[in-house]
Amino acid sequence: MIEFSNVTKRYDNGTRALENVSMTIERGEFVFIVGSSGAGKSTLIKLMLREEKPTSGIIHVNGFNLNKIKRRQIPKFRRTLGVVFQDFRLIPNMTAFDNVAFALRVTNVSLRDIRRRVPYVLGLVGLASKARTVPEKLSGGEQQRVALARALVNNPDLIIADEPTGNIDPELSYEIVELLHEINKKGTTIVMVTHEHELVSQFNHRVITIENGTVVSDVPPREDEEDGGYRL
Amino acid sequence: MRTSSFGYLVKEGARSLWVNRLMSAAAIGVLVACMILVGSAALFALNVSNIVSYFEDENEIVAFVADDITTQEELDALSLQLHTIENTADIVFVSNEEALQQQIEEYGEYGWLLEEYQGEENMLPHAYRIKVKDISLLEDTAQQIEALSGIQEVRIPTDVAHTLLSIRRIVSMCGVVVVAILLVVSLIIIANTIKITVFNRHREISIMKYVGATDGFIKLPFVVEGLLLGLISALLAYLVVWAGYLYVMDWASTVNSQWLQELYRYFVPFEAVYRELLIGFCAMGVGIGSIGSMIFVGKYLKV
Repeated sequence: MIEFSNVTKRYDNGTRALENVSMTIERGEFVFIVGSSGAGKSTLIKLMLREEKPTSGIIHVNGFNLNKIKRRQIPKFRRTLGVVFQDFRLIPNMTAFDNVAFALRVTNVSLRDIRRRVPYVLGLVGLASKARTVPEKLSGGEQQRVALARALVNNPDLIIADEPTGNIDPELSYEIVELLHEINKKGTTIVMVTHEHELVSQFNHRVITIENGTVVSDVPPREDEEDGGYRL
Repeated sequence: MRTSSFGYLVKEGARSLWVNRLMSAAAIGVLVACMILVGSAALFALNVSNIVSYFEDENEIVAFVADDITTQEELDALSLQLHTIENTADIVFVSNEEALQQQIEEYGEYGWLLEEYQGEENMLPHAYRIKVKDISLLEDTAQQIEALSGIQEVRIPTDVAHTLLSIRRIVSMCGVVVVAILLVVSLIIIANTIKITVFNRHREISIMKYVGATDGFIKLPFVVEGLLLGLISALLAYLVVWAGYLYVMDWASTVNSQWLQELYRYFVPFEAVYRELLIGFCAMGVGIGSIGSMIFVGKYLKV
């Protein structure tokens, strides 16, 4: 699903963001990527989304070789994954329904499918009753759920969540990760980048730690607990 | 692309025009001003060309027939030779009798002085009045006519031809320069508007990129916006030019100036050009708007 082979990324200004990173994330996994600020997590996400190209090394995501992918194939590649951001990135003057529908409209989905799929995913994230509400009338947690619904609506194989709990209260953060966990149980691969170690420790998933641009640890889920389960 | 998607994108373009209405109004204002100047330059050039064409039509080579050409057969042969010269258009034969008659008429009350030169005493040669197709080749054509054995002399209005050609050349050159400058100004205006719209919509654009919208899908609303800006500006500029032209025509018809009254007869009436002008304005507006935004949206939008 995701494969990094000896990936190094240096920016034009000389900043060394990643150094010789190798890792493999299999289909159906839930992986936390943790690290302090400036560790290289954002660069890792940008490389996964093909927003940046590696300086050296090879990256495969969802069957696409991101080193060789042509510019016009990038939209096709991005339709195979869903992305959730720390700042939600919702369009303020659109309702929750329209924000989710936006992802379908811009990928040329028919109106009939939009009317069928949007209420379904809003139901999945528990916001069926708030479909007609604009983002500013929603709490932080609800806004992130809308963003999650938008990431889910294209039925992606992989969801990449970049600090999805960074702007919400701790108890709501837990709910968001729990929601991601439920989505993962249905077969979707989840990669969640976070710096909240405490939150990560509440769930039993694989944890990759990055420091100074290199992978310093890669801990699989604990075998003595239910796979993918979580501790309260 | 689905019809519903296309409709959505067009709506987005129009919405953006309204959301950024202050910037849109400023852009339309400058574009209207540019297009009024371009339209006025075009109408001015058209009228100058029309007036010059009239004077060109009045321009003719007068070729005097040699004295030894006397029979009708010889004159017919000479006429045939003149017709074979490429740049000749109308060729009118003026016999020495007709020429004398014209002179008598021109002399008016003193015409009787020439009457004694009629018949055998007529010293005037036969002549051909020859109009040319292309006035810039006037001298070459005159040389070819003069080379004919039956022609003794050729008279050409060289100075007038040079003046007319100069006027036309200057007007054309000025027109091209004005249009080129204004096109560049218009493109810069479109570029600025698109730049601001891209900035205002960066959130939507980033979401579109991440959910897999194609480059074309992201760019289309901007192209629609540019196109609408151009089209609205073109229609407004057309109305202003229309009103302005009618006003100038009305003024020219009533002003007490003999030379202006003379020229007024050759002014192009608006009814004769309104369709072409409307099409030209719309094509220019749509062209500048859509092409300008297509070029610049690629520059500002790294998708």
